[in-house]
Formats: sequence, C-alpha cells, structure tokens
Amino acid sequence: MSERSRQEAGQPDTQPPVGLHAYTRQSSGGQSRLHLRVEPDGRGLLLVNADRAVHLNPTATLMAWMQLEGLSEAQAVAQLRRRFRAPAQTLRQDFQNIRFQIDELARPDGACPIHALSLEVMAPFSSEPLAPYRMDLALTYRCNNECPHCYNARPRDFAEVGAEEWRTIIDRLWDAGVPHICFTGGEATLRSDLPDLVGYAEAKGQITGLLTNGRRLSDRTYVAALAAAGLDHVQITLESAEPETHDRMVASRGAWKQTVGGVRNALEAGLFLMTNTTLLAENAGQIRATLDFLAELGVPTVGLNALIHAGRGRTVGSGLPEGDLAPLLEIARERTAHHGQRLIWYTPTQYCNFDPVQMELGVKGCTAARYNMCVEPDGGVIPCQSYYQQVGNLLRDSWESIWNNELCLWLRQRGYAPEACNACAFFSECGGGCPLSLRGVRPTDAMRAERVTQEG
Amino acid sequence: MRRISIRAVALVVLVAALGFQAAAAQSYSFSLDRVTVDVYWEADGTTRLEYLMTFTNDAFAPAIEYVDIGMPTPNYDLSAIAATIDGNPILHIADSTYADQAIELGLGADSIRPGQTGTVQVVIRGLPNLIYAGDDEGYASARFSPNYYDSSLVHGSTDMTVTFHLPPGVQPAEPRWYPVSGGWPEGDPAAYMDPEGRIAYQWRNPSANGYTEYEFGAAFPASYLPSAAVIQPSVFQRLNIPIDAIMPCLCFSGLAAGFVGWILLAVRMDRRRKLAYLPPKIAIEGHGIKRGLTAVEAAVLLETPLDRVLTMILFGVVKKNAARVVSEDPLTVEALTPEPEGLLDYEKTFLAGITLTDARKRQSALQTVTIDLVQAVQKKMKGFSLRETKDYYRSIMDKAWKQVEEAGTPEIKSQKFEEALEWTMLDRDFDDRTQRTFRTGPVYVPIWWGNFRPSSVPSTGSTGRAAPSIGGAGAGGGGRVSLPHLPGADFAAAMVTGVQNTAGRLVTNVTSFTQGVTRTTNPPPPPAVRTAGRSGGGGFGGGGGGGGCACACACAGCACACAGGGR
Repeated sequence: MSERSRQEAGQPDTQPPVGLHAYTRQSSGGQSRLHLRVEPDGRGLLLVNADRAVHLNPTATLMAWMQLEGLSEAQAVAQLRRRFRAPAQTLRQDFQNIRFQIDELARPDGACPIHALSLEVMAPFSSEPLAPYRMDLALTYRCNNECPHCYNARPRDFAEVGAEEWRTIIDRLWDAGVPHICFTGGEATLRSDLPDLVGYAEAKGQITGLLTNGRRLSDRTYVAALAAAGLDHVQITLESAEPETHDRMVASRGAWKQTVGGVRNALEAGLFLMTNTTLLAENAGQIRATLDFLAELGVPTVGLNALIHAGRGRTVGSGLPEGDLAPLLEIARERTAHHGQRLIWYTPTQYCNFDPVQMELGVKGCTAARYNMCVEPDGGVIPCQSYYQQVGNLLRDSWESIWNNELCLWLRQRGYAPEACNACAFFSECGGGCPLSLRGVRPTDAMRAERVTQEG
Repeated sequence: MRRISIRAVALVVLVAALGFQAAAAQSYSFSLDRVTVDVYWEADGTTRLEYLMTFTNDAFAPAIEYVDIGMPTPNYDLSAIAATIDGNPILHIADSTYADQAIELGLGADSIRPGQTGTVQVVIRGLPNLIYAGDDEGYASARFSPNYYDSSLVHGSTDMTVTFHLPPGVQPAEPRWYPVSGGWPEGDPAAYMDPEGRIAYQWRNPSANGYTEYEFGAAFPASYLPSAAVIQPSVFQRLNIPIDAIMPCLCFSGLAAGFVGWILLAVRMDRRRKLAYLPPKIAIEGHGIKRGLTAVEAAVLLETPLDRVLTMILFGVVKKNAARVVSEDPLTVEALTPEPEGLLDYEKTFLAGITLTDARKRQSALQTVTIDLVQAVQKKMKGFSLRETKDYYRSIMDKAWKQVEEAGTPEIKSQKFEEALEWTMLDRDFDDRTQRTFRTGPVYVPIWWGNFRPSSVPSTGSTGRAAPSIGGAGAGGGGRVSLPHLPGADFAAAMVTGVQNTAGRLVTNVTSFTQGVTRTTNPPPPPAVRTAGRSGGGGFGGGGGGGGCACACACAGCACACAGGGR
C-alpha cells in the first residue's frame, strides 16, 4: 500500500487518487523505490528509482495502482469488472500482464523494457508531464570552490530562505507530483540544515540526492549523518586524477584530497555514488587516467559532461567544440567497459556535431522545464540549474503558473532551436542542443531584458 | 431522378461509428482532413464500404495506434476486410476489444505519431441485411452515416465526399436521393455513371466536420436485388415509433414480450453505466523502428530458425557471385574469386567458415558467425522498439510476397521473386506459400540458380517453349540473357526442398547448434549487486538505461540530462 495513503485509505476504491504514491519493493535483485504519479485525467507515470520513467494509460495506471496497493488478482479483477465493460478473462489476462511488467520494471536486475518487455515506444521527449520528475534545490550559492568554468551566474551572497521555507517548498513539490529531489548549490553541504532537509523529504516519500564537490564528505561523521537521514545518492565532481589539475580547475588548493576522501567515505557508507567530470581543455588529455583512477577507487558509475555555457562558463574559453567530443567519449566508453562501470553522458548537443545515440550513450536532449527544474536559494524556480531566469517562486506562486510560464512552454516546444533544425531528422531527439549554447534566441524582449538585468 | 421526403422511407440507418481505442482519454486530439466513402449497394443485396480517411494528429497528442470501426451489422466477416495505412497493409484486423460490434485496426509501426498525417483505407465486403423496403411500393432504400467523432477529439474542417454506387442495372430515371441531414449544404448530389456502369450519387462538402452525424440516403427499385435481401420494416418502424419509447408500456401491460424487452433494456442500461474498456498500455520513451536491417538481420530479429538464417546467407553470397555450391550432398561450397565488392561482414566470415572441409571446424565456424550476427543485431537494436521493428519487417515481407503474387507475367513474377527472395524467406509459411504462388505457369530460373542447386538446373528452353529473356534491348541494348525455365510446381518444389536440404546440411543438429549460440548471446543474468538497506542495481536518476541491460532506451525519458554537470 502507498506509504503516503496508508493512513487515510480504507478498502481501495476503483479509482486511484490523483497525486503521487510512493512504494518500496524488495526483490531478489535488491530494493527499489517506485513512484506512481496519477494525473487528473487518469494517466500515470511510474518512476523506478528515479531512473526509469514509463508512461501508463488510464487502465494501466489503475491496474498498476491496484497491484502496488497489494490487491490480489481476484480482488483486482472483481473491481475491474464492476468498472469496465469487458470479459473477465480479458481483464484477468491484462492485469497479469501489467503485474508482470511492473514487477520486471521494479526489479533492479529486471528485464529491459524495450528488448524483453516490448513496451510501447514513444518518441523521445514526446510526453507532456504536468510536473518534472526531478527538482534540484539550490540551497545556497555559497561555495568552497571557485571553478572558473562554473555555470553559476548568481552572486555568492544571493538571498537564502530558511529551513522552514525549504520544508514548505518540499511539501509543495510533493503536492505537485515531484518524486525526486537533488540538493545542490553552490555547495549544498555548506548549509547546516542539509541532513534535516534530506530527512524531511525522505519522510514524505521522495528520493533524495546530493550534487556536491565532495569536500565536506571527507568528514566521515557528516557522511554518516546524511546516510542516516536517508540520502539515496551522491554525485561528486572530480575533474582529474591529477591533484594539481583538479585543484587548478576548482581554484582551491587541497580540494582534490578532500574530494577524493569524500568519494571514499561515500562508498564506504554504502551510498549510491557516481562522479562527474567536466571535459574541458585542461583535463581532456587526462581522461583515461582519470577514469582508471575512478575505477581504482571503486566508483561504479561515471558521469561526463561538456562545458555549460552559463555563468562563468560563458566566458571561460576552455570548453571543447562539440565536434571534438567523440574521441574522448570513445576513450570513456572503452575504459568504463573495461572496468565494468556505467557511463553516463549528460550534455545535450546538436547531433550534427556530436551524436550520442550513434555512440550508444543514449538520447540526450534538453530536459529543462520538462523533466527537471531548479529552485534557487530564494525559492524562485528556474528551468534548470544553469538557466538563470525565474519563472515564479514556489513560496508565492501556484505550481500551474510556474509550470505554464511562457519560458517553460517555449523551452518545452523547443522554441530556441534554429529554424534549420526543423527540417532535420534528428530534431525530435536532439532538440537543437542546449538552449544556453544558442545565444541570442529568447522568447520575448521582456524576458531578454529581465535576463540581462539579472545577470548584470 | 426526383427528390423525396425523408419521412417517406423506413427508419433504416446504417451507421458506421469509428473511434479510437483511447477515445476515452481526453488527450487525443486530431483533425480529420479528408474522408472519402464509397458505398456499393451490390447486386446480391450485400454492401461494400470503402473508406479513405486522412488524419492529422496534433503535435501534442499521443500517437494514434488503433482505429476502431463500428460495424453496421454483427454479421461481418473479418476475412472480408482489408485495410492499409499510408499504403502499407494493416496486419492487425480483429474484433475490437474496445467497442461492441466493431473491428480494430492496429496501425503498429505505422501509427500516426504526434504532428504526423496518416491515411487509413478500409474495404469491407459482404455486409448483409442493410437494405430495407421503402414506403414507396417496390422500392428499397438505404441510409448511411459516415464515421463521426466526439467533438472534444476532432477539430477543423473535413473535406468529405460520400458516393453511393447503386445496384447494377438501375436506370437513370429510377433512383431517388434524400436530403442530407446534419446541416449539410442543400443541393443536388452529382449523379453520374461510375466505371462499372452503375449510377452513382456523390455528395461533397469541403467544409464538413468530423464530429457531426451526417446522414445520406437513396432509394431504388427493389427488383434489382434478390427479394430476400430486402428487409421488411417492423410495425413500429413503419409507424416511425422508436422501440425504446414503447418498452415501458409493454412492461406495464404485463405482456410477456414486454417483460423480455424490459430485461433487455435493463441489461443495456447496465452496460451503459460501465465504462468502455481501454486495454492497458505502458510506454517508454525511446526510438521507434530500426530501419536498414538486411533480410538476414531481420530474420535474426524475427527469431527465424538459425539453419534457415544460414541458408539465407548462403543465398546471399551465391547471388552476389561470391560462392557456388559444388555438391549438394554432402554440402560443399566453393568461394569464387575474385571476391565481389560489397560483401557484408557476416557474409565474409560465413564464406570463410562454409568453405572449411573439416565438418567439425565448419560447424564451429558457422556457430561463431551466427553468434556475431546475433550480437550485432542486438547492438543495432539498442534503444529501438522490438515490437515496432518486428512489425515493420513483417510488413516488408508481406509486401515482397504481394509483389511476387501480383506480378502480371511469369517473367515479372520470376524476376520479383528473385529480387525479394530473402525477404520472402522470413515467412514461416515460406514453403507452402512458395508452392501456392508458383503452382501454375512457368518460372524462369534465375541465373545464379545453378550455383545454388546444380542438380536442378534445366537446360534453356527445355520444355520446348521459347525461352524468355530479361534485360532486353529496350533497356539499353545488350545484356540479354536467355533463361532456363521450369514448370511452376517443379520450381516451387525445387526451391522448397533446396532450402530445406541446405538448411539441414548446413546445420546437422539445429537444437544443439542453437543452444550453442544462445549460451553466448543470451546468457543467464549475472547475480545482482545488493546494497544493504538501499535501492539496488539500477541506481538513481542517472539515466543511460537501467537494470542489467546496457540499453540506451530509457535515457530520453528520465531527468538525467545536466544532472549536476558543469560545476
């Protein structure tokens, strides 16, 4: 039964309540966290470990909910018969199929949804959710690193709301149907209330993650506090295996040692850990050594991305042309495959320059204001953590007004893409690349003016 | 021709209601750009419907995957229905799981995706009992309403054309038409003789819409139909009294008939309280169809027996003049030199393996070829829809057969078969269908046939008939090749036995061969890594595919992009 609705629900009705339902499943492959988001029109979104999203039509939503709530097959079929004009045998078979598919999707070692389960395949980015799957909470823009390539465009002393307001924000995100929260910054670990906020979100049923430079995680006690609060995953940025390169890239002497200590402590604490490395001119030549080093540390998942053209990243000048990425990613694929690691490539690119699908890195397009957004330290919401233009404030504005803000719609409709992209066969997947790299294209003059003002 | 009052005919309405399976979901949104309906009132009293409907799906709407078509009678025959989507055959035609007395067309790989346009053509033959006796003595009449949709689903204008083709023999002065209901512009329909010499009434309105029930009608002398084909209306219908209206009276009067009617009515009402059933569907973001696979790769995808797959490869290399069969039993294959250009990787490794003389080594090499091929296909399929891709290649196979079967002359039929041979071999019914297709008429044996079955090559013109040729002077001069030919049945038998025997000699024990392949290509999953007290395996929010599969399928549908990178 849904952890959220267990208290108030009696005998389940034949209609799943609209909103977010959280479940924990234990299987032979390990434990899984599932979120079933029921939309007002009856459709559903099932997120498995905040990692795999599948879309359910109203009947599948109902059946999935019945299964996750623990109804027996006989109970489910009886309720379905009362609701639908269909033979019992059909309902039984369909329920069995859905139950099998959900079970397989929920298992960490379950069948591939496309190869083995033959789920219907939708075009990439064709779903129109009513809320993102993940919200980044930038608790503060303060940071103990000073990366010259950082995408942060805000001043370090940007206004911050207190823990109580953040709890309200977390409440509102749950109500909006956001199952996954990532604490970020700046450097989120500089906020002393981080463990409390992690615990608060976990208690609601959300999956929590931390995006960090890892320096504070060199303190075992602090890592233990985060783990005790229920933190699910950590992403630590490590720019190089070479301490000098890393320290230079983050402009902080001694940072590498603390970051690597953080990696070790997170692994030791059993947190799900991945690292991230930004491929820039300074560290591109060390990619092989860096990946080998991460393997030595025992890092199971490695993330890579290119420069984000925001904040200091707009002018740093160390970004690599998209056309130069392929050989680096070839090395990364080879090394991670050799070490048995999982490789994740993040950056949306124009596929005519760099095609991640061709390199078997998956479909990568901009997901800002579609699958993820970001809340700034003052409660303002921005399309992603690098797109510094607020579309509302979670402490003041309704979720609908934020989600349907003109900028959000424009991003979801790929309004930023160059006109030439419309004729391209790859456009539905590539979406024109990262909007931030396409300077000069903005939805309205007013927004452009606001952006200029905010960025100074 | 004269116009008559709508009240002058019996209340006989043929309604073909069409809806999408997911019509209950409010998110569907489309325009119905064009509807053309030809209604043939046939001489035997049956009706043939030919629909052509062009849909444009809205960019934000889900894909249209199924089209349901309500049938005017429960006595329809599924085998008498054919449909296409954008010219591609619709293979899934079945009783609707969504609506009563309806069929469903599964568009499969050709589903109409958001922002796209698709044209559905449906031909329904042999619909019985749809023509009723009219009030005018000796006349039969029929009404017809084209499909219409809930106005919340369809928008925009529809260029609609409805044509009645009256029974053969009806004379120009005899038929009548009725005014079209539903706000259709007033005016006479166009009347003309159709190519079959039948009188046709045609109504057209470029500004119609897809949500109004328009009703068309015509009457013609019943004498042109078998008398049993014209149904006499009931007393109530003659009096123009709706049957529902009289049910309560009958119930209260205590008549047995009325009681039965009441029960039936109650059942109907109960059915109405329940919702129409929309089958459950789970979807994931990813790629759709993987195009560009070769027939051999498609065969792997379609899980064709591996001995058949190897036979297809052998066909391929023989056709490319890269090899020839020296002996059929035992099978001995010789590589030809120089090696032609354009051989595929699996063809090259196959050639290297098949030409080995040591039987055990050859078997082992062919197993390696097969493993590599299966793994290559698995890699190519990463992130693409297995189901849609399978449907796609089945449709290619079907098209290949159709081209062969519909060829007008033996020469063209032989040529088409040669061109499409590998695709037709995907068919599990290949043996029987080959025999059916080539039962009659001569077959002109392909040039390479002698390199595949040296024992069954006839001499040119062996039956005494003039040998035909292909690539004649009209096509540029020169290159004319006289082809040997066989009676169709002989060729079919030779082809089928050739494939069977070759397969059997390529792989002596299919079961152990297949097991040897699948042990490598489909190993049992490795034990999962457990993380005590935490979610395991798949990780969190990373994308890039989850679970134990390296498939890139889930990437688009998760929130992994830019998850904290760039810092």
